[in-house]
Amino acid sequence: MHLTGNVLIVDDEPHVRLYISFILRTLGPVTVNEAGNGQEGVTLFHTLRPPPSLILLDVNMPGIDGIDTLRRLRAEGASCPIVMLTSLATRQRVEDAIAGGADHYIRKDTPKDEIIAQLKTLLDESTTPIPAAE
Amino acid sequence: MLVDDERESIEPLRQILSHYGYVIYCAETGEAALIEYESKLPDVVLMDVRLPGIDGVEACRQLVAKYGEACAPIILMSGHANLLTDSPDFPLGVVDFLAKPFRPNEALVHIRAHLENRRYAMRQKVLAEELSRSNVAKNKFLGMCAHDLSSPLASIRGMAEFLQDHRIGSLNEKQSQLVATIHEASQTMLTLVNELLDITAIESGEVHLNLAPTPLRTLIARAIDVAATPAARKRMSIHFHPSPTDPIIQLDTTRIRQVVDNLLSNAIKYSRPGSVITVSLELPEATAENQVVRVCVQDNGPGILEAERSKLFTVFGRLSSLPTGGERANGIGLSICRTFVEAHGGTIEAVNQSGGGGCIFCFTLPLSPCT
Repeated sequence: MHLTGNVLIVDDEPHVRLYISFILRTLGPVTVNEAGNGQEGVTLFHTLRPPPSLILLDVNMPGIDGIDTLRRLRAEGASCPIVMLTSLATRQRVEDAIAGGADHYIRKDTPKDEIIAQLKTLLDESTTPIPAAE
Repeated sequence: MLVDDERESIEPLRQILSHYGYVIYCAETGEAALIEYESKLPDVVLMDVRLPGIDGVEACRQLVAKYGEACAPIILMSGHANLLTDSPDFPLGVVDFLAKPFRPNEALVHIRAHLENRRYAMRQKVLAEELSRSNVAKNKFLGMCAHDLSSPLASIRGMAEFLQDHRIGSLNEKQSQLVATIHEASQTMLTLVNELLDITAIESGEVHLNLAPTPLRTLIARAIDVAATPAARKRMSIHFHPSPTDPIIQLDTTRIRQVVDNLLSNAIKYSRPGSVITVSLELPEATAENQVVRVCVQDNGPGILEAERSKLFTVFGRLSSLPTGGERANGIGLSICRTFVEAHGGTIEAVNQSGGGGCIFCFTLPLSPCT
């Protein structure tokens, strides 16, 4: 399945946002929207038309962290797949993320082609209807 | 503390100890010795065997049972030394004995020696605790450094890969060479940083497994796909003998993938350029007692020298074999492999092939879900 429309990356490190945006563009003709922290991410989410078809969220961020951002996004209507980005996947973090409504988590140091493969699998398996680009 | 019901027999010793500035507590029965010990906590105990009430041997047992390793060294005294030394149940905590009658100076040198030992032991304990605290601080620091380095390194490596696969335009030969170096260096650093993170987690006892049903054959096939590129650079190929079915096993996908990646990376490092690396996945016979799957990676390297075998799965246990393509080895990988495999209830071993046929590294994982 091709990824289209808006995608949202929330990560406090600009180099991660840049790298992940390159990855996302291999998955389809997407518009990549970036936020540098959780609050900014939630605000940006509400302004995106169409709503994002995929959200990538860093777990460790200053301010509201990724897990809280995830809960807020789900509570405020985000129905697309949400993937958590981690440097270290501790069991507690992963459990919190899954309980908070994340669809998947990816370690940032996973080889590029494997991140692409995992995202493809997730999008293929996702039962969430992905909104078409306007 | 001197424990003897015959005051006069220990009086000369009491006097000489006082002369040298020792603080002395006396007790005349085993029961009194136990009470006196509790309130005074002496540094050494001289205990007569024959006492009214519970005897000296029983008093020793009770002291050791109550205070364990912290119990002061006990010197037993007896007029029947032969009986004492031949006793099959010499109580723990008794470090010495004096045959009565003894000269006060004879006892003095014994007491001095045991007090000195005790001081050393206590100092050692304090030092060990300090070291342990420093080690925790070091691990925390190392963990923080590695953690903060991991993410930018992953970005650098990933971006170098985008440049390398010409998705954003083509590079000339010199540019390609520079990008290849950036990629390789960042990959090496990322591996090192991740291994340091693993070591710090292992040393702090923080290895937790995220168990999930995982198709093992698929996991291995993916690892081989990724390893094929560095293998090809050394004109090597990787042959996979998969199991007929793809066993679904409860395991921590990331950790076991790391084990497979590490074994493949080592095989590529140490095999002769142009050789073949063989990977196999074997399922247990239905009737087999041990329901374990077995994953083996056979290299074409020099094998493991018997003299170095004990270092193989230890932290920083670098062996004399050198990588055949100038790669780096830090001696951490296999110790991490062992920790992760054993955390799953599995085993890992290395067996040299006869006739210089390299080495086979095999690990097993139980088929039944581990706890």
